[in-house]
Amino acid sequence: MNKKIKFLSITSALLLSTSIFAGCAKIAEEKTPTQQKEKVVNVYSDRHYDTDKKLYEEFTKMTGIKVNVVEGKSDELIERLSREGQDTQADILITADAGRLHKAKEQGLLQSFDSEIVNKNIPKNLRDKDNTWTALTVRARVIVYSKDRVNPNELSTYEALTDAKWKGRVLTRSSTNIYSQSLLASMIEINGKEKAKEWAKGLVQNFAREPQGNDRDQVKAVAAGVGDVAIVNTYYIGKMLNSQDQEEVNAANKVGVFFPNQQTTGTHINISGAGLTKASKNKENAIKLIEFLTSEEAQKLFAEANFEYPANPKVEVAKLLKSWGEFKRQDIEMSKLGEHNKHAVEIFNEVGWK
Amino acid sequence: MERIKVKLHLNGWALISYVMVVLILLPTIEIILNLLKPVNENWAHIKKYMLLAYVTDSIKLTTAVVLFTVIIGVLSAYFITFYDFPFRKFFKWVLVLPMAIPPYIGAYTYNGLLSYTGIIQTTLRNRFGILVNQKYFNIMSLKGAIFILTLFLFPYVYLITKSFLEKQSATLVESAKLLGKSNIEIFFKVIIPISRVAIVSGATLVALEVLSDYGVVAYFGVQTFTTAIFKTWFSLGDVESSVRIAAILMVGVVFVILFEKFFRGRKKYSYSSTKIRPVVRKRLKGIKKNLVIMFFTIIFLFSFLIPTLQLMYFAFLTYKRVLNMSFIVMTLNSLALSILAAIIITIISLIIGNYCRINESNLSKIISKITMIGYSIPAAVIAISVILLFVNIDRKLKWFYLIINPNSKTLVLSTSIFMLLFAYIIRFIGVSYQAIEAGYEKMGKSFFEASRLLGQNTIKTFLKIDIPMLKPAIISSLVLVFIDIIKELPLTLLLRPFNFNTLATRTFDYAADEMLQEAAVPAIIIILISIVAISFINRFDKE
Repeated sequence: MNKKIKFLSITSALLLSTSIFAGCAKIAEEKTPTQQKEKVVNVYSDRHYDTDKKLYEEFTKMTGIKVNVVEGKSDELIERLSREGQDTQADILITADAGRLHKAKEQGLLQSFDSEIVNKNIPKNLRDKDNTWTALTVRARVIVYSKDRVNPNELSTYEALTDAKWKGRVLTRSSTNIYSQSLLASMIEINGKEKAKEWAKGLVQNFAREPQGNDRDQVKAVAAGVGDVAIVNTYYIGKMLNSQDQEEVNAANKVGVFFPNQQTTGTHINISGAGLTKASKNKENAIKLIEFLTSEEAQKLFAEANFEYPANPKVEVAKLLKSWGEFKRQDIEMSKLGEHNKHAVEIFNEVGWK
Repeated sequence: MERIKVKLHLNGWALISYVMVVLILLPTIEIILNLLKPVNENWAHIKKYMLLAYVTDSIKLTTAVVLFTVIIGVLSAYFITFYDFPFRKFFKWVLVLPMAIPPYIGAYTYNGLLSYTGIIQTTLRNRFGILVNQKYFNIMSLKGAIFILTLFLFPYVYLITKSFLEKQSATLVESAKLLGKSNIEIFFKVIIPISRVAIVSGATLVALEVLSDYGVVAYFGVQTFTTAIFKTWFSLGDVESSVRIAAILMVGVVFVILFEKFFRGRKKYSYSSTKIRPVVRKRLKGIKKNLVIMFFTIIFLFSFLIPTLQLMYFAFLTYKRVLNMSFIVMTLNSLALSILAAIIITIISLIIGNYCRINESNLSKIISKITMIGYSIPAAVIAISVILLFVNIDRKLKWFYLIINPNSKTLVLSTSIFMLLFAYIIRFIGVSYQAIEAGYEKMGKSFFEASRLLGQNTIKTFLKIDIPMLKPAIISSLVLVFIDIIKELPLTLLLRPFNFNTLATRTFDYAADEMLQEAAVPAIIIILISIVAISFINRFDKE
């Protein structure tokens, strides 16, 4: 009998707490996008930085417009957007890759918007040609090298890494990673499909190990001597140098940053950016938010907290990035990264880049 | 009169079961129908470069993990049930704890531990000046994935086998002993055969977990079926082909499930008397005792203590920057959602389980198998189908929303928490059903029949006889589902309403940005909550 009472009491406690929690969740839910009078803007984002959250709060403070966010992976968010169609609640799509924004545009999920402020803040080549999206930040994919074992004079271009002298010394991420894909997509745009495939093939032959891990893992592998050069995004070096973990700082200190293709086609860059959804129900608010995110004030925070290059040229880059100097950027339309993405993946499969 | 009433009740159970099964099937139908469509231009490329190679690695990974989890799980269950040794109670409890650690967190943690900047290498390097060959410290490979998945999935086998042995085996084992059989003979000739059902159902869960894992394999660069699905979907931008691959995977899973059925055969073991004879444990001495303790210590260290300590160290580095008020909200969100879903899912399992037990027809067998389907498909694929389903429902219901609120938007259900809850049901009903079904099977039909003969109706019998007798199964269903959901990621990520964050999504936010040390804070909270949940199983076990 005692057992039964205990069981019952626990069950009822569970049920009670559930209903209370459910009630809370319900209230929280009702506060979100539905309310008619409250000014809102709804965002699907695949950037997950604390800085972004701070910026949204700042925006709400300034304008009284509440920012509602669903964070997720870009492809899945685009899929959700497309399945929701004209009924979607989302006003803005933010992704960390130009190719993804282009994909959304191709699927008819974005609409053009004409904002003088955005046009003034962001250079033309970092915007979609139909103004459906704009860049917010810029990242450079560079070569890092072991300060002990590599003389930076030996380095020149991405293409040169296929040279026989780098055999067993090159580290990269796997081909499932979007950064790898966009790099190869840019090669397809600049050098053509055949040459790009040759390059990928040559690089695979020089791999120090099968591609694995993330960008930080590549830097650590250079520090550890698994390989001598690695292709990584700049802001990870920034984050490692500022890590709480002294060992990460040490590892990052062991590598140098080299901007490839300075004499030729420029270093590969990618952007994270924001697009306006076709079905946006709060268009004005959405454009206001995008304008705010491209403003000098917001861009400063992007640059400082995350070691990304601001897309607004009036904003100074972080000290660390400054110390690496100015560099020549790849001069291609960002949307090309999206157009060639599929070919890039096919090439990766064909040459056995895991 | 009585007869008619009985029939109606039976139909009620049946009806609910049918509706549930149809609901579970709806999103998967889209996936299955995909197999009938003609292939598109990408398919040749996928077949040539991805499918074959990826299938091979998938099979290798799954087979190895199933094998190792069965060895560790069954041995642990055996020692814990039949022998007495120091710290037995402690090990009995902590062996379940690895379930609290999501495998992808385990993968990040172990790599953090073993990497060049990890504690092992830095200690060797800075204290002793030893530089190690990175090759021996590289966990990011197929073997590494096998290691990680085994460590964090074996409790499924352990838990199910143990609860079976504790309640079922005493009489048989004692008889075998009386007949002069040695312990090894008893293990292979009695224990393994009688616990076959439990072992196989644990192993099935493990196999399905492995097949749908994406976190670990993506990070380690291992190429499996799931990698192929996502590569096709995201990189080739071809949802159709990726769903086709998922459908092929589903067919494979049906084979796994049939295989399970084959292994179960027709044999059923149920209580022969109301009193369950407790197992009399044999006290271990000398070297045997030490070996067993060592076995458990090693497993406990690798599957729980080491990764948890590592995470705590990471969390210690970053909690000041990361922890804030929003964590309370996130924790409450996670708790509310997981508890609610666990209760709903368990109730549905009980209803379907009861129906299938009463009607032992082919239809009921099929129904009970269907519950496993959701567990076998990568969650992101389920998520996409669920969105489509809910958007359609919303569009059809718009007239109704407009009656209630003239300004209503179209997407009401699909921007609410219901969509996510529904997806959880599809995904985790299998886990819950495995536990409940085992409970029903153990119980047999005799109590039910006796109660009915004594004039109680199905509902009364269900509430007064079945539920109390099923208590252990219900508790383990609740806890298993709760733990699965509190660490669940892909569905939550994609299907949640605006501004709805959970501990798991926050862990992902950080991990995706390669901020593992920050990710450790929400991860540790998940683990702590799960430990509390697991201790429930234990409390009820003792009674």
